[in-house]
Amino acid sequence: MVDGRGQVRTHWRGLLGAFSSLGYPAVVERGRRLDRAFEEEGVATVLADSASRTRRPWRCDPVPLILSAREFATLQSGLAQRARLLAAMLDDLYGPQSLLSEGVLPATLVFGNPHFLRPCRDPGPPSFPRLTFYGADLLRGPDGVWRVLADRCGGANGVGFAAENRNLLARVLPEAFRAVQVRSLRPFFDTWLDSLQSLAPSGVDNPRLALLTPGAKQETWLEHLFLSRELGLELVETGDLTVRDGHVYLKTLRGLRRVDVILRRVKGEKSDPLEFDGGGGVPGLMQTMRDGAVRVVNVLGSMLAEMPGAAPYLPACARALLHEELELQGLETLWMGDPASRARVEAAPEAWRLRSAFDPGESTPLGALEVFSEKGSAAPWMFAATRPLPPSGAPRLVGPGLEPAPVVLRMFLARDAMGNWQAMPGGLAHLLEGGGAIAGPPPRRGTAKDVWVLAEDEDDIVGPAMPRGARLDIRRSSGDLPSRVADDLYWLGRYVERLDAAARLLRALLARLLRGAAMPREIAEIKTLARCLHAAGVIEAEAAASPADGKALPRALLAAAGPGGALLGLLEAVERPQVAVRDRLTHDMWAAFAHLIQEGRARLVLGVEGVDALSQAVTAIIRFCATLSGIAAENMVRGGAWMFLDLGRRIERATGTARNLAHALDQPPQRLEAGLRLALEICDSALTYRARYLAAVQPAPVLDLVLADPGNPRALAFQLTAVSERLAEIAGAEDTLAATAASLAARPQALVDQVLVAPDMDAAAAALPAALHALEAETAALSDAVARRYVSHVRTHMLGESESGTAD
Amino acid sequence: MTRYTLSHRTAYRYGRSVDLASHLLHLSPRVVPGQVVRQAGITVLPAEGQRRDGQDHFGNGVTWLFLGTPHDAFEVTLEAQVEVDFPPPPPADETLPWEEVRAAALRPEGWEAAEFALPSAMAPAERAAGVYAAESFPPGRPIMAGLRELCSRIRRDFAFKAGVTTISTPVSQVLAQRAGVCQDFAHLMIAGLRALGLPARYVSGYVRTRPPPGQKRRQGADQSHAWVGAWMGPQHGWVDLDPTNDLVVSDEHLLLGWGRDFGDVSPVTGILLGGGRQKLTVGVDLIAE
Repeated sequence: MVDGRGQVRTHWRGLLGAFSSLGYPAVVERGRRLDRAFEEEGVATVLADSASRTRRPWRCDPVPLILSAREFATLQSGLAQRARLLAAMLDDLYGPQSLLSEGVLPATLVFGNPHFLRPCRDPGPPSFPRLTFYGADLLRGPDGVWRVLADRCGGANGVGFAAENRNLLARVLPEAFRAVQVRSLRPFFDTWLDSLQSLAPSGVDNPRLALLTPGAKQETWLEHLFLSRELGLELVETGDLTVRDGHVYLKTLRGLRRVDVILRRVKGEKSDPLEFDGGGGVPGLMQTMRDGAVRVVNVLGSMLAEMPGAAPYLPACARALLHEELELQGLETLWMGDPASRARVEAAPEAWRLRSAFDPGESTPLGALEVFSEKGSAAPWMFAATRPLPPSGAPRLVGPGLEPAPVVLRMFLARDAMGNWQAMPGGLAHLLEGGGAIAGPPPRRGTAKDVWVLAEDEDDIVGPAMPRGARLDIRRSSGDLPSRVADDLYWLGRYVERLDAAARLLRALLARLLRGAAMPREIAEIKTLARCLHAAGVIEAEAAASPADGKALPRALLAAAGPGGALLGLLEAVERPQVAVRDRLTHDMWAAFAHLIQEGRARLVLGVEGVDALSQAVTAIIRFCATLSGIAAENMVRGGAWMFLDLGRRIERATGTARNLAHALDQPPQRLEAGLRLALEICDSALTYRARYLAAVQPAPVLDLVLADPGNPRALAFQLTAVSERLAEIAGAEDTLAATAASLAARPQALVDQVLVAPDMDAAAAALPAALHALEAETAALSDAVARRYVSHVRTHMLGESESGTAD
Repeated sequence: MTRYTLSHRTAYRYGRSVDLASHLLHLSPRVVPGQVVRQAGITVLPAEGQRRDGQDHFGNGVTWLFLGTPHDAFEVTLEAQVEVDFPPPPPADETLPWEEVRAAALRPEGWEAAEFALPSAMAPAERAAGVYAAESFPPGRPIMAGLRELCSRIRRDFAFKAGVTTISTPVSQVLAQRAGVCQDFAHLMIAGLRALGLPARYVSGYVRTRPPPGQKRRQGADQSHAWVGAWMGPQHGWVDLDPTNDLVVSDEHLLLGWGRDFGDVSPVTGILLGGGRQKLTVGVDLIAE
């Protein structure tokens, strides 16, 4: 920020001016808003530290790292050259290996490298570029020169986070963006997308692009989610893909859909179990690539080019392959497999830091030479040594002011459709905290920074004017929903409903407990509700059978909200699929879910303190669930995602309603009226009933309202009709499952009719519980059939290893 | 020169139908000096499906199979006619001292051998294996002399016992129990040589067997075999030694291919969808004319 003479560097002046006119207390407040924005995005949730189970929020400093136009141009040129070099190295090392035969690069660095994937070796000329996306970690020394610390040729994660940082920072700090001409990131993503499309196998007009992620359980998931949104790519996991007849297909609800270009974020050795022992992947993917029927970006095996051990040989490689001198320096690095280099490091160990010769991400703190002498003396070739550089600081917000802090800058480049490397005018910086590692993996630790590249007049170029490819046909269906996503949405729908239903039963029961001094009628209601809660799996049988005015029941209810209790369990059950289908939810929908889970947890923590607090907690949960339904109803297109969410929800509510009504109506004749009132309450229909019939409670009208009324969204028939409609929408009206659901949907009306024509209405109503339990069981069977057809997953296994779980 | 007729049949029966299978075969006799492949062919059942033939990183012939129709059985048969006459190794005292071989593997001239001096998953740089091998390599000893002695010691010190090891038994355990099969002895010798910095590779193929005196040859009684290729330096290149039989390979062996260890050249592998329990039958016939 400050140059050698204590003057503020010119490219910082605009931002500092904006900060002064805002006032630093306001900047601090914007920083808090930025934290909250990330929290709302759920960034904290997914970055949860699985070991300590604490939730560390993603932090982004509101002060960006600013690069002047000239600084960026230098980096762009130097990094583009480096990308060309690494691409040429990959072509050589997976091809003729002239770098090895001519002694330019030691063979051990390649053959001993776990990222040298032998199945990727192809002596022929490359049929398509092995490297089209590249990232570099850079460190700026006290001399102001940026030096390369690490190359990223495998995943180069962080580009999605960079986009997200920019989006959110622009939202909370618009004044700064008005004060400074910052180059937009969008043209870079357009160029990249254009390049990905141009990589499609020849003859493919409208290529289908997918981003292959290891899945929601990995901490890189959010990065992949942001990136898939930014580029508009389908987010898929290896289990979603299959190879048939020499092509890669996405398994969707409507069958197989061909995939032409895969932006890979899964490790190469985990991409194809047939050819690599890394475990997992798509069997046959490698061969499909060899055939040219699918393009994978970057190709499997590209991580080879990341090896820090090659650093001392890069200038020679550049001369051999490009006939050029390297423009950009790297941090001084030696390969320990070379005896002379080893001697140099051992002579002055304090000046060096050891790192893996193969993995740029791994580094060992200073003084780690003991590690080396233990492990390394047997295999010194596995190590490299880097001379640390005191990094120069960039301003960060500390209290109401700025302080310099050392940063690492990650920049990204994509090879455009013409074959030129373009740098993203921005990047992801992160503060080096603790001063330990020379290059920790950024997204996990520390605080990130947005990176601004200042615009000059001639920079106002935008990306390709028109998207390439043929004109899109109008599509109204979403049958291409991957089967796995349908599975997660279905269970999301079911768990939200299960949570809502449990909360409603609890609220009804707690209200009665709170009124105290229960009348016999109320005692019967309490016992009925307790039975329903037991049937819903919220409390144990003994608690449900305990005296309605005793201590055991309230204790069991409070325990259900406590640690290990059913309610927290349901919140977690909602969270799991919800995280996995994040890319299918709108921002509002996601925020509503995140809010439900976060607030639900917080309320339940308070709820264990007493019946009153618990009542408030479940009321809050009911409201959150209602908000969710509202957002789903108003904001989700009635396509595949919504259909499965709704299907899950309706099936769950149908079984729950049938079960609860069976319990409510299971009363001796003198208590039937109380049972009917309870039925109205459980189905949230008391108000409607009063409006229609005033106060007289009779079996037929009550049963009509809670069982058969097609207009009552809490009635049983409404659920089953919706189930039948969803199934028909998914698979067509003739579908057998849809037909089964339709016949189930007719049953509530038949039950009401039986009561209507019976000579003794009360006696007929009392016979209903058995019929309702039967309907519950049939609905559950339908749900199993749905799960089997649409959402069950089959695993592959190895020849010679029998399929697990097979009895015969 | 010996001319062989080879038949190697691998048959799997599945408890349940396999819906989708992909297979990788290292089952083509490699053309090398000393081995002429007159004819070789792989037949597959079920016959439908896609097949690709190519070469792996090591230059071995590879076949990929993709079977997309449901099947209850899978059968692969290699049938070949091969003439074998590997040249005799150089006299031991003409070969380099082993330390010079080690040094040459680190120089550019030894770049191709360097790969085989590095540890691999099934033949790691096991210290104990290195200590065992080092006895045969006192300072200055010509490499070939050391290799011959190491080969004899393994034959002498280890019992050939089927069933005491599996594909995944580590070298350290083989060394401790002093028993195993050809694959174990090959991995042990390779690990020992690598621990000394010497390049060594795993060779997959077949060896001629003779029925016990007075008995007839049983059909399908032969087996896949494994031995060791060792590097003698840039001038003399590679020599094949069979520690199971204490032999320098000449005309009793038929070679398929080589890699760092068994994992690189496993004859038949695959990934299945479905299948239930699997039953495997293997039959090898190696008949010399």
